[in-house]
Amino acid sequence: MTSATPLLAIRSLRAAYGKIEALKGVDVEINPGEIVALIGANGAGKSTLMMTIFGKPRARSGQILYEGRDITGVPTHQIAHLRIAQSPEGRRIFPRMSVAENLQMGADATACTDAEREATLERVFTLFPRLKERYAQRGGTLSGGEQQMLAIGRALMSRPRLLLLDEPSLGLAPLIARQIFDAIRTLNRQDGLTVLIVEQNANHALKLAHRGYVMVNGLITLAGTGAELLQRPEIRAAYLEGGRHG
Amino acid sequence: MTATPHETTSASRTAGIPFLLKTACINALIALVLFSLMVGIRTEAGSDGQLTYWTRFGDLASLVAAVFGGSIVIELLRQWIGPTGAEKLVPPAVQRGASFVGRYLAPALLIFTLLVPVIFYNQRYILDLAILVLTYVMLGWGLNVVVGLAGLLDLGYVAFYAVGAYSYGLLATNFGWSFWICLPLAGILAAFWGVLLGFPVLRLRGDYLAIVTLAFGEIIRLVIINWQDLTGGPNGVSGIPRPSFFGIPLDNSDDGLAAKLGIEYSPTHRIVFLFYLILALALLTNWVTIRLRRLPIGRAWEALREDEVACRALGINTTTTKLTAFATGAMFGGFAGAFFATRQGFISPESFTFQESALVLAIVVLGGMGSQLGVALAALAMIGGFELFRSLETYRMLVFGMAMVLIMIWRPRGIIGHRAPTVYLTKAQAISSDLVKEGHG
Repeated sequence: MTSATPLLAIRSLRAAYGKIEALKGVDVEINPGEIVALIGANGAGKSTLMMTIFGKPRARSGQILYEGRDITGVPTHQIAHLRIAQSPEGRRIFPRMSVAENLQMGADATACTDAEREATLERVFTLFPRLKERYAQRGGTLSGGEQQMLAIGRALMSRPRLLLLDEPSLGLAPLIARQIFDAIRTLNRQDGLTVLIVEQNANHALKLAHRGYVMVNGLITLAGTGAELLQRPEIRAAYLEGGRHG
Repeated sequence: MTATPHETTSASRTAGIPFLLKTACINALIALVLFSLMVGIRTEAGSDGQLTYWTRFGDLASLVAAVFGGSIVIELLRQWIGPTGAEKLVPPAVQRGASFVGRYLAPALLIFTLLVPVIFYNQRYILDLAILVLTYVMLGWGLNVVVGLAGLLDLGYVAFYAVGAYSYGLLATNFGWSFWICLPLAGILAAFWGVLLGFPVLRLRGDYLAIVTLAFGEIIRLVIINWQDLTGGPNGVSGIPRPSFFGIPLDNSDDGLAAKLGIEYSPTHRIVFLFYLILALALLTNWVTIRLRRLPIGRAWEALREDEVACRALGINTTTTKLTAFATGAMFGGFAGAFFATRQGFISPESFTFQESALVLAIVVLGGMGSQLGVALAALAMIGGFELFRSLETYRMLVFGMAMVLIMIWRPRGIIGHRAPTVYLTKAQAISSDLVKEGHG
């Protein structure tokens, strides 16, 4: 752990859907320039944590500190203005709008100059040349991998400091998933982007990440560097050799 | 994964007689249940007020048989020339022709519309009809903002039409304000009611939203009927002033427009003026909508229709986005209402029934949600078609029902389902030259 203030610090966070408690006191820290992976089984609360950072659902108790500032009560739509971007689970691109419009939607929320917008667009197209080829196409006509690229590209258009990725490899062919992970690594190394990635594909995610957290039933049960976690027998048994890998 | 949809379509396309019979039987059964009370038993009040009834099983049987046969025919038609086979049926030459027509249809229609009063100057009936069609075009375009762009199903749009009409009617008759002062006021008041409706329905979507808006439309109508002191109740508001040409009345008096211009007075002047007035209002609606679509707020409306969760994650304030959509749509409804009041000179709650809402919604859905040209064409077809089939009287609703069903079978996205994108890569030339390279290499 570095002594610098973490970019995002989550302190004993609790959140619930009605009476069902999804997060039961979660502590997570993300330092600037890190890739942090959050792994766990279905229903462990990984996506809820992502969404609680964005205020939907609201935290019952605990704190979310972004750059040292408490954002636990900030309205959902203002969180994107703090340069936190999210690529939600299941991609959720706008199917009837064109690729260009989808990307523009990411830029609309943040006040940026035309030049900045053009530069970011250029960056997104360098990362995902496919999107440039298809910029006039409707989002819904893209393949699954291209849609994931679009969802990440759309999030990048708001020029975030912290990028939250929810299951970016969901339903993708291994080769395409690898491309997505490569792009995330490039973003982290070249642009210094801090990334929190939620994944069921623990093998890929932990290899990519500097540090990882394992979540079970709304609690963080293990934490460590990606390499450390990959070596842990219980991780290997639960998430790697149990069927899902590649 | 990819093979599955293909298999299912081919399966349903080649589905044989058992499938046909099953569908037909189900439809016939539904018809039997529906019609057994409506047609099968006829009740009437007897001579002493007692209830007499008799059965009409023959008629019932023939109706059910007609539904049975009809559903087989429709199913066969759907299998032969349904939407899945459309690309095979349309030869490329026709497609090219269609795209050519598509490009020039809107400008051609606009020029024709501008010339309508010149061509049909002496045909009062056609001018009146054209004004009616344009009123519905404007209503359709206004509702299109709410339903087509923002995807909020509004079944009570007529409420804003009524608010606009009564705003002008009451302000003009009570205070003697001119049309040009009242027009913006009517729009603002309607927009205010739009926001008022918007607040309680912020969290609703789809069918739930539809029910609440439906109720809202009825509430406004009932308030108008029962608030007799203000609105005159069922008697309506009469003696609403006719519009003036920016202060100059369009009548036979000495300071009327005709006298000032030194031409002979004709009542047609007023009709022509009304025609251009509603045309201008409708085009304003269209222009504002097209402009808004290219701004962040318009894009946010469309994104909201597509995916609300993603919108929130992108930092869009869904509350204000929904409210502005409701307010904008309502404002145009209010303008149209003010125009309606000044054209009729008399308004009553009867003009603002649910049927009007349904008609406007049908225009938007048939035209293709979000398509400006489609809505205009649908308004022309619906309102013009109503008049065209007036001689058929009893059958015209039947014809219209059939036409709507057929359009929805073959063009489920409406007459014009195409949606023009609003963001292009224009400025950076580096991008476009790269694109060319990639496209060819």
